[in-house]
Amino acid sequence: MWYRSASFILDRQHQQQNDTVTNPDSRPLSPSSSAMATENPNPSISMYYQTRAAHHGVVTSDWLAQAQAAVGGNSDDAVSDNCVSGGDEECKGFSVVDEFNNWRKQPDLAEAVAAIRALASVIRSSQATTMMELEIELKKASDSLKSWDTTSISLTAGCDLFMRYVTRTSALEYEDFNSAKSRLLERAEKFGEISYKARRIIAMLSQDFIFDGCTILVHGFSRVVLEVLRTAAQNKKLFRVFCTEGRPDRTGLRLSNELAKLDVPVKLLIDSAVAYSMDEVDMVFVGADGVVESGGIINMMGTYQIALVAKSMNKPVYVAAESYKFARLYPLDQKDMVPALRPIDFGVPIPSKVEVETSARDYTPPQYLTLLFTDLGVLTPSVVSDELIQLYL
Amino acid sequence: MPDVQSMVNEFVIKLKKRKVEGSKSTAKLTAELLRSFISQQRLPHRNQAGALIDAVKAVGEKLIAANPVELAVGNVVRRVLHIIREEDLSLTTAAVGGLSLAAESDDENDMEQDDHPVLSATAVAAAARNALRPPSLQTLLEDIPHSAVAPPTSSSGGDSEGKSKSADKNSMTRKLKHNVIEAVNELIQEISTCHEQIAEQAVEHIHHNEVILTLGSSRTVMEFLCAAKEKKRSFRVFVAEGAPRYQGHAFAKELAGRGLQTTVITDSAVFAMISRVNMVIVGAHAVMANGGVIAPVGLNMVALAAQRHAVPFVVLAGVHKLCPLYPHNPEVLLNELKSPSELLDFGEFSDCLDVGSGTGSPLLHVVNPAFDYVPPNLVNLFITDTGGHNPSYIYRLIADYYSADDLVVRRKSAS
Repeated sequence: MWYRSASFILDRQHQQQNDTVTNPDSRPLSPSSSAMATENPNPSISMYYQTRAAHHGVVTSDWLAQAQAAVGGNSDDAVSDNCVSGGDEECKGFSVVDEFNNWRKQPDLAEAVAAIRALASVIRSSQATTMMELEIELKKASDSLKSWDTTSISLTAGCDLFMRYVTRTSALEYEDFNSAKSRLLERAEKFGEISYKARRIIAMLSQDFIFDGCTILVHGFSRVVLEVLRTAAQNKKLFRVFCTEGRPDRTGLRLSNELAKLDVPVKLLIDSAVAYSMDEVDMVFVGADGVVESGGIINMMGTYQIALVAKSMNKPVYVAAESYKFARLYPLDQKDMVPALRPIDFGVPIPSKVEVETSARDYTPPQYLTLLFTDLGVLTPSVVSDELIQLYL
Repeated sequence: MPDVQSMVNEFVIKLKKRKVEGSKSTAKLTAELLRSFISQQRLPHRNQAGALIDAVKAVGEKLIAANPVELAVGNVVRRVLHIIREEDLSLTTAAVGGLSLAAESDDENDMEQDDHPVLSATAVAAAARNALRPPSLQTLLEDIPHSAVAPPTSSSGGDSEGKSKSADKNSMTRKLKHNVIEAVNELIQEISTCHEQIAEQAVEHIHHNEVILTLGSSRTVMEFLCAAKEKKRSFRVFVAEGAPRYQGHAFAKELAGRGLQTTVITDSAVFAMISRVNMVIVGAHAVMANGGVIAPVGLNMVALAAQRHAVPFVVLAGVHKLCPLYPHNPEVLLNELKSPSELLDFGEFSDCLDVGSGTGSPLLHVVNPAFDYVPPNLVNLFITDTGGHNPSYIYRLIADYYSADDLVVRRKSAS
């Protein structure tokens, strides 16, 4: 609640203190690791958004296919190099985050899945002989992943989910440590498939809700929503899409590129034109960075605004999110989350006395959402907390 | 067998011709039909539950296709499928629990035969229980395919039992059917007594000197109001006539016959009168998974008027009306257009209804939809046989009564 202080002076002082804090224990960088891997120069700026922009830029799907093929060859080399150059202990600490980044370079892979794959590699390279030891190592690795980017919700949720699963598996009375370990490994490595399957399931579930002649408003670049629209286009449904620009990421431009390739009629709107065009819209479709306990969602900045407009004009707001994005958070208002800041480039220099709101995401309360499409089925926002209880009990 | 088939076909024809009216009678007839169907089924020794489920799905598919708008049919079919899965699960856990002692002695044999590590009986039961619940985050990671859990457990149960006691095999076969039929009997009983169960709660909701508004005619509402009258509550009822069938007239007459002060109003007068009303109580044709209501035409307007004047809108619905599907275009897909003669007499208006000179289609169209969709945010309370619930709680009732696998009732050609 610090960030809600009405006293701007206190805020400014706090900001200055943050800047002067030295970087956390700097380790010697091995020559082959990329600069962004280990150190997070300013903890409050979201690594997620920085690296995401670097990873994806304005990409086309052909480029994606090529990149995927290229990455498949490189990732193993990079990891082994890392391990060889550094010492054993340092290597482990390095390789989780590096491994994670390597996995994330695959553009189709979700964050939580990359995290779980990285944790799987920790298991693989671990020399523990008991479940307890293995769990402790995993906990350390999961903590380091989480601290690398404190703002990403799906990363945290993915790590928590996997840790929870590990502790439950050990409770399943596997007589043999090695068989338990191999089962963990097998499950973790199959998790990537689950992610892809999840998107297919969500796309299938939402098909009925897209009818011929409808107009869909989309905000932000969500791979799940893209899958939904792609499936609808493949099923020869006739619909058109309004795409918000998504300043300052310009994710809307990417999305409109992809949709144009699918021969779906697309119209780009600037973010301020949403209310103006809401009349012609039949439904709003968004993805989610995280789904919180109240049934609300945390998503790219602008989602709350669109949901408010849609609600006042009686348009349904549908959210497409995989189940591993369910997080144990309960924000009470917009500032009640770990802030994820993202520097905005206005194109002209801003005088230093002018403050800029750089938060990258907002919270949409559940009363503005109509339905959530997840791989667990179609849910109303009130079901989310039930599902979370089932998992975390 | 042919006897049951002919019964099924008869029922399908009745549904197609809309000879069965009302969701309660439809639900009851469907349940009775399924009961006879199950009792006449001959089940294989292995994987009985799977075979039974397939057979019921095949019949269910036919029944649902006969009248897709009558959701009670699909609801009952899904209830029966859920019953079969539950009974199978409880039988399996009982069998596995009883066998765990025997299994320990057979441990060495099993280790050589199985490739998988030996899981304890509790793990198997837990896995099977997961299969019954809707897919959750756990089952996602466990990745236990739902259909695969039931056959291995039942067949492994069958196998080991075969090793130890072969006489028990026959009793297992008969037990599942027996349990299922017992449970279906309970279901039929529940459907028959839904009105009484709902009416029992009337006294909590209707108080002295209240004004209740209702529209059209609903047996559930009748029982509800009369139960409150029995308990010596004095209240008045406004009955909107419910065009074009005007069933509200007969309803008001009956209410007056039972000693209640009744007023008949037109549907258009609802908005004018709603400010003088304390509560709106109506029945429903079906309740969807999101809490939305498929109700007789005109009720959406009443619900909107009630929201405008902050009047509680209470829906009475038996549990057999609860449908696990989400409505994505209910005004069209879950609606029926009835005969235009209810609105305009054929004789008087036949010249307008004839084919027009230029266009080739009649100049005068008459549309007579049977149902309205009331979105969940307009409903304040659902009163079911199990008690009063919020619209956002409907998903829990659905999880209790239905399995996620049965949402699409289609016979699997190759399971």
